[in-house]
Formats: sequence, structure tokens, C-alpha cells
Amino acid sequence: MTDRIGEVIQVYTTRFLAQSDNLLNPPYFGSFVRAESQGMSIYGLVFNVYETSIDPNRRAMAFGIEREELLKQQPQIAEFLKVEFEAAVIGFNDAGRIRAYLPPFPPRIHSFVYPCSKQEVLDLTEDLEFIRSINSLPGLPVEELVAASIRLAYRERGSDRNFLVRAGQEIAQLLKDEYEKARSIIRRISDGR
Amino acid sequence: MVDRQKRIGKLISGSLLSGLEAKLSEDVNVEDISVGRLVVVDGKENKFFCLLKDVSLQATNEDILLNPPSDDFAKQVHAGINTFYKLSIQPMLVMPQNPMEDDRPRPSTTVPPHFSNVCEATEKDVSLIFGKPDKNSPEIGSPIFMDVPVCLNLEKFCKRSNAIFGKSGSGKSVLTRMVLGYLIKSDLAVNLIFDMHGEYGWSATNESTGIDDPSLRQLLGSKVAIFTVDGDSPLYRRVRPDYDVQIPYSAIEIADLELAAGELGLTQAGIETMYRMSDKWGEEKWLSRFLEMDTDDFPAVVEDLKVNEQALGKLHRCLIRLKKLPFIRKEVADDTVERIMGEIQAGRHIVFQFGRYNSMLAYILVANILTRRLHKLYIDKTDFARAEGIEGPKPLIITIEEAHKFLDPQVARQTTFGTIAREMRKYNMVLLLIDQRPSGIDDEVLSQVGTRIVGELGDERDINAVLTGLPNQGTLKILINNLEPRQFLLTGFALPMPVVIDAKNYSSFCDEVSIGSGIILDAVKQKKVFDDLNTKVYGDDQIIFD
Repeated sequence: MTDRIGEVIQVYTTRFLAQSDNLLNPPYFGSFVRAESQGMSIYGLVFNVYETSIDPNRRAMAFGIEREELLKQQPQIAEFLKVEFEAAVIGFNDAGRIRAYLPPFPPRIHSFVYPCSKQEVLDLTEDLEFIRSINSLPGLPVEELVAASIRLAYRERGSDRNFLVRAGQEIAQLLKDEYEKARSIIRRISDGR
Repeated sequence: MVDRQKRIGKLISGSLLSGLEAKLSEDVNVEDISVGRLVVVDGKENKFFCLLKDVSLQATNEDILLNPPSDDFAKQVHAGINTFYKLSIQPMLVMPQNPMEDDRPRPSTTVPPHFSNVCEATEKDVSLIFGKPDKNSPEIGSPIFMDVPVCLNLEKFCKRSNAIFGKSGSGKSVLTRMVLGYLIKSDLAVNLIFDMHGEYGWSATNESTGIDDPSLRQLLGSKVAIFTVDGDSPLYRRVRPDYDVQIPYSAIEIADLELAAGELGLTQAGIETMYRMSDKWGEEKWLSRFLEMDTDDFPAVVEDLKVNEQALGKLHRCLIRLKKLPFIRKEVADDTVERIMGEIQAGRHIVFQFGRYNSMLAYILVANILTRRLHKLYIDKTDFARAEGIEGPKPLIITIEEAHKFLDPQVARQTTFGTIAREMRKYNMVLLLIDQRPSGIDDEVLSQVGTRIVGELGDERDINAVLTGLPNQGTLKILINNLEPRQFLLTGFALPMPVVIDAKNYSSFCDEVSIGSGIILDAVKQKKVFDDLNTKVYGDDQIIFD
């Protein structure tokens, strides 16, 4: 498939790491992606994107030239850089039905990663269960991630205010005991309007 | 009205004693909810009819109160999760979900299960509770925010003393007129109305429009007789009163004067002097003899009765005010009480008016004298009827305005009105108390009141007095506090459960009760014939008696 954006290079049950195919168009933070593995689609939410040197022992160096200019003068530098992104697993597709919980096994390494279609985003965000999954994973920037993914789903829905309210309520309900956290997410999603 | 239940919340906690609590649904605007509404809780097998007594703001989280959401979106999101509205409702009656033919609502003895739906009462629910209007249970209004009749069961109403309370401007007089009109129409009891302000006779001024509304005589024609102590009043320019009342001095008892002590300015010494005179000169004669005296005669009286001369002079100055009431005379042609009794036997209802003599003094004296004698007569007749095993006199409802003047805690135990209120219908006589100051009425009397109709009241003490002897006082108090003009809380014997109503429109009452506009013309014609006859016989001379 031509719209491929990366390849899985490390997996856990709850998250996977992929290397981006393209230095120029890495996936957005908070976007929905799909890893195809063993005939199953496993959905993830991108929570970390980073660009690094391909050699773990050699760090990139500062040249003091604008990036575009530098790549024009020394195009070989691009060959020493890579973009990687991490995605939290939020669901999978089981015989045509989207399940908003963890799949029985993670995608295999070297599976390809694709961006989710509009329909998939709509299906994944319909019952808002994914917010609960993200909230329970340790080490994620939960507030930012939830807000970014909901803003995206809101735009995919043609700015449907009802959806935004529903999402806000889900957050308020989920974070009932952490009012400040809920409040900051709600402020972030209401900014997206 | 759409006869479909609208769910407004879910039951969450509470008890039968302190009332139930429900969470308001998020899709209902709290501003549309108002206290006093009837609501229905759908239990598993029963419907619980309840009164909405309070609405409160609640938060599940202290933090949200410290950092309140700032924009509308955040408010909307937190609504129903971190913030919610709590409805306090009081269960009153219960009825099976699928009632049989003869099932009637009965008092609630348990509570509905958790999370039962709380709905607005529908038209069907209200008519299940309050019945359908007919002659003996007429519609007197509709529950607030609903357009369904609330009917007053007059058969029950007649069996106890009742009261209509409300400050002036609350619509009390208009509602009283309606209740009386329906009572007269139903013929369940005979009414004697002491009409201090001339509102229940031919017409009464409508406070909002300033135009005269038809009153009982105009609406019900010859069923109502007007008695007056002031036959020459301009009130009777169009329609003659049926009877000019005169009261002889001999009919006035010392107890009557004691009741009006405040109005007459009597002192305790004065009252004792009166008793001395009555003992010496005879119960029936002392007053006329005393009033005929002047100051020159006092030394002899002081000598004779061994009383203080100053006290005597003061008493004379007090009692001389009676002379300013021309209907109180030495000699009278006719016995008013007998006349009233005759009308009552004939089933006519009496409106007793005071014309220009509507001072508290005239009112208290006349109402007390007449009622005392009527009460005696009723006791005799009822006892006689019991002994003979025949039907007693017709049940009588005496309507008194400014009831606290007769039922003050200090005097209620002695006055006839106090006796009637306490002995209830033993002697076929009950009271309808009209008052704007219920706190002035004796507690014992208040607790005997069967049905209370309560309008707007300002004073906390009045509100507490009105609730004397009622269950669920807390709930009712909230309801009374929220009343607007022309809204009334109905509670007591003649109603299955307390309800707040918007009083019925007076003009539709008129249409319903009125015998027809024909009688108005009849009465005007009658008056013309009477006047013509007067001129023919006496010429244009004014005839003045006495």
C-alpha cells in the first residue's frame, strides 16, 4: 500500500514503536494509526514522535545552517537521520468489528503502519472507551494526548458539538476524583472549537 | 396538554418521613422546575403522587466548587457528573399502576424503589386524585403550571369548620366568593355570610380592573337574601335588600360587649360595673336604662350600685358609642334571628351586610349577637330532632371575616364562635373563617379547622399559625412561602392531598354558577316597582323612623 507511514520495530502489549518511512511527513501527535499484522488491524494513538541519528553511538551535530539549506548542501546527512514514533494500543479490528480494548497480541515487528481512515477514526471514537485505555497506561502525557485525539476526532466529525460535549462528559466522569486533570483536558478540547 | 409522562429525574435517596430525593435529568432545565408542582414517581407496582418541595444545587466534588468551570462548554460538560440538581419531593398518595375500577388513591405508607423514574404529573394523574368536576365537587382552580381541574369536595367541606387565609391582595375575597357560590349552588348547606366589606351581595369591585364584578346575589338570584343594618346605603340603589335589620338593646349581652371591649375602649372596671347594673336592673333592661341617663343621674347610681363614679362616667362614654349605630334600638318591630331562621328553613342563603356601618364595633356586635342566638336555636332544634328521631335543621355554614376578632386566644373559649369551631358539626353548624391574620386565632380552634385554603401570607407567625396541627409542616411552609397572588395552597379534609392551585378565573365561575342574566333585569325591575310604590304612597318625603 502506498499510504504506508512506517514499520513496527518494537512491540509491547500496550504500545508499539515504529520507524517512519519519511523524514518529511511524520505522523501527528494524537493521530490514529493502524498496524496490519497477522490479518488483523491493531489501532494505536501516536503519543511520541522523535527524530534521531541512525547510529545510537553518534549524536547529530549542530552545523549552524538552516535545515533545508544544510540538506541541500550535504544531502547525505538525511541518510543518517530517522523519525520514530510510539503509539499506544487502543483497540483492534476483529472480523470487521472495531473493539476498543487491547488485542490478544501486539502487532509483529516489521508490520507496516498506516494512518487510520476517516471512518476508522469515527468508529474508534464513537464510544469514547479509548480515553479510559489511555488514562490507565503509565507514562503517557494523558492530558495532552486525550485533548489532541479528541480535537482530531471532532474535526473528522465536521465539528459536531454534541460529540465534543459527550467527550467532555466522559472525561469528567472518568476523572471524577481528579477534577484539576479533567478541567485542564476540558479546557484544551474547548479551545479546539 | 399532552397526556404523556415527561421524565424529570430519577429517585436517589430519602425516606417516607423526611421526603424523597431525586436527581434532575440533564436534559431538563432546572429553571423550568418549580416548587409546588405535582410529580409522580413510577414504582414497580404503584404510582406515588408527590409534591415537589425543594430544588437544590449539588456538587459531587469539593474541588469544582473552589475552581468553578468558567465557560459554558465546561459548565455543560460537568453538568450531571460533577454538578447536579436535587429535587426534594414528599410522597403523599399511592395508587396501583393499573388501577381497578374502584381503586382510589390512598395515603402513602412506603417509598418507591431506588432509581424509579420521577415524572411530571399528567392530566390523567391529576384527575385521578382530585376527581372530575360536578355540582358537589366543583373545580376551583388548577394545579400551578397545569390546565387540569382541581375539585373541592363540598360534601366533605360542609362537615367541618374551614378557613380561607391570605393577606389582602392575595385574591382571598374572590376565591371565597367562588367557594360560597358553589356551596350555595350545591345546596348542601345553608350559608350565613357576615359580609363586613360588602363583597358578597350584589356586586364587588374587581381590584385589578376597577369594574364591578357580579357577586352572589346577582349570580344566584333569589337563592340569596340580603340582610342589612344599613338599608339606606348607596349600596342598595339598584337592588333593595331583603330585610333591614334592627337589634334591640335587650338582645345585647355583656359578653357581646366584652368581645368588643377593644373597640369600645372598655376597662375591666367598666365590665364589672356592667355586671353590677345587669344584676340590679335586669339583664334585658340595664343597657337601655343606662344609655338614657346623663351625668346628673350618676350620683344616684353610684349610691345604688356602690360603684366608682369615674368608672361609671368612663363606661357611659364608652357605651354611648352604641347610640351612633342606628340599627341598635330600644324597641324593634321584628326579631331578626327568627327571620334568619325562617330563611334558613326555606333554604335561602343569607348575606348579612353592614353598608356604611362597617366599623369593627358594629361588625363584632352584630355577628356575635346573631350567632349566639342562632347557635342556641340550633342546639334546641337539633336536640329536639334527636329526641323525636326526625331530621334536624339544615346544616349551616357561618362565614365570618376578620375571624381573629372572634377567636382570639383570650376570648375564643367563651365566644359562640369558639364553641362552634370546637364542637364541630354536632349541632349542624360550622364556620368558614376568612382572615388575613391567622396568628391571632386560638390554636385550639385552628387545629380543628378541616380544610384550609391558604393564599399569600407575609408574616412568619401567620404562616406558622396556618400550619397548626398539620402533618408535613416543613413542606407546606415552603409552598406557602412561594405563593403568588391568586395562588392558593389547599390542604385538609376536603382534599386527598395538599395542592397549590392557580385560582379559577372569576368570569368562568360566573358563567358556571349564574342562573342567567335575566335575574339581573328582574331585580332592577323589582326595585323600580318598589320605588314607584314608595313615591305613590309617601310622595317624595323621606320617611325616617325613630
